[in-house]
Amino acid sequence: MEKNYYVCTGCGMLCDDIEVDVENNKINKVYTACRIGVAHMKDGKESAAFLVDNKPVDETTAISEAATILKNAKNPLIFGLGTSSNEAQKLAIELAKKTSATLDDASSFSLGEVIEALLNNKTKVCTLDDVRNKADVSIFWGTDPSDSHPRQLSKYAYFPRGTEKQRGWEEERTAICIDVRKSHTAKICGNYFFQIPPGGDAEFIDALIAALAGKLPKTSYNFPPKRILELANILKGAKFGVVFVGRGLVYSLDNLEPLIRLMNALNEKANFHLVPMIRQYNTRGFNENLFKETGYVNSVKFEDGTVKHGPEYSVVESLKEKTVDAALIIGSDPFSILPRSIAKNLLEVPVIVLDPCETLTSRNAKVYISTAIDGVESGGSAIRMDGVKVDFKPAVETKRPSDETVLKKIMEAL
Amino acid sequence: MDFGSFLKAPEIKVKIVTYRDIFQDKAMIENRFGKEYRDRSAVIKMDSADLKQLNVKKGETVILKNSFGTVVVKAEESGYEPSHRGIAYMPKSPWSNMLVSDETGGTGIPKFKDISVTVTSAKGQKLTELGL
Repeated sequence: MEKNYYVCTGCGMLCDDIEVDVENNKINKVYTACRIGVAHMKDGKESAAFLVDNKPVDETTAISEAATILKNAKNPLIFGLGTSSNEAQKLAIELAKKTSATLDDASSFSLGEVIEALLNNKTKVCTLDDVRNKADVSIFWGTDPSDSHPRQLSKYAYFPRGTEKQRGWEEERTAICIDVRKSHTAKICGNYFFQIPPGGDAEFIDALIAALAGKLPKTSYNFPPKRILELANILKGAKFGVVFVGRGLVYSLDNLEPLIRLMNALNEKANFHLVPMIRQYNTRGFNENLFKETGYVNSVKFEDGTVKHGPEYSVVESLKEKTVDAALIIGSDPFSILPRSIAKNLLEVPVIVLDPCETLTSRNAKVYISTAIDGVESGGSAIRMDGVKVDFKPAVETKRPSDETVLKKIMEAL
Repeated sequence: MDFGSFLKAPEIKVKIVTYRDIFQDKAMIENRFGKEYRDRSAVIKMDSADLKQLNVKKGETVILKNSFGTVVVKAEESGYEPSHRGIAYMPKSPWSNMLVSDETGGTGIPKFKDISVTVTSAKGQKLTELGL
């Protein structure tokens, strides 16, 4: 019997082997998914909510109010979209052009710079399927997939048998963790866990590059040189190596130059690829869709047919400097994910929230529309963390409109 | 031993590194305004020697304070080795974000994983509730 698989949109891995039991239009059981995926797939809700000033209204009123806010704004902020389909993201870019908006997503304060480097071919990349089939050495640097992408090690990087890795983790794969904390992933890596002090990543990179060149590795925090030399030897012997990069590494570096330099040094001696550990299911989609349109992955401002780019157009700086006069927040909760000292400025402008969940931001918004969860209640396409396009379909029906539908209606109402 | 230890209510300075926790993430998906999400978020994991210096037992509440905010969270022993006095860990959440500096140097990137706070005993105060 042919199985009916769904895609989990719970994180950037977009696992496409999920089975569900549906009864009375509700997902009762979820098979194959991780702890986060199970909770995510069961999170659907049949009824819709359209609120203005926290009072229920009909859909037309909510859309019309949202359109009025955007029409009256000189520089609205459109932010979020990490949990929206490619189709919705493309509409949001059109909407941003039409309303002369500042447009950004959460990648501006996480892995956006890494994705931009990959799209500009600054280093070698590979797919997760390549990792499963070929990888013999994986480095988890400033990332803990056991908590953030729970099936990463079992589906791709360490435990599975791949076409060219039939003897799996016991004999043919090495997992290495470099982190400031003994995370769950670090525990799996055992003796290959290299604990460095907070902010010590750049120095560790320099020391590792020295060790790869056969020089004595030195750090100001006296990391045992012997261990760095041992690490360099493992890396030199890699036939298909992967560096999984997380926020822990990126936040510790002033810019990506040391990381790119390390990738170059690794590729002089061996064969190494970089995979960004993107958390939200379609952050990469947003970055790629905007890149195709503007040449930038985030933090843009549309004005008179031109596009401006820079950190001053990031969500953080726009809110901090109060340069925006309204906000359309799609699938994000700035009051939870940004420093409160910055997010509080949202209270001074009219805010529209499209989100499947009620959030701190939606509770303080002028307009709130509860939208469908992609992959659970609505279909579309997305770009996986490694750049592979994935199509997904809904598992249950809902009265809640998708982000795509709402954005289309707002465009029409403008 | 630093000066803070001699105060009537001992206080210490720590640098907080935030991290992601799968159980907390699941609790957020199920109910971000619920008790489980709060209990798994409003937590600081400290070195046992730091807890001892504060005269706080694991499971008791502490006040985390800096110029950006104040939150009451539960103190736990990290269990991490080697000793990491002066460094503490918190799951990333609205609670940790209440303490993140707005200083970004114009980069658009706040220091989410580098938060300096003073810690004192909360003497039985309840955990900070999620709200504005």
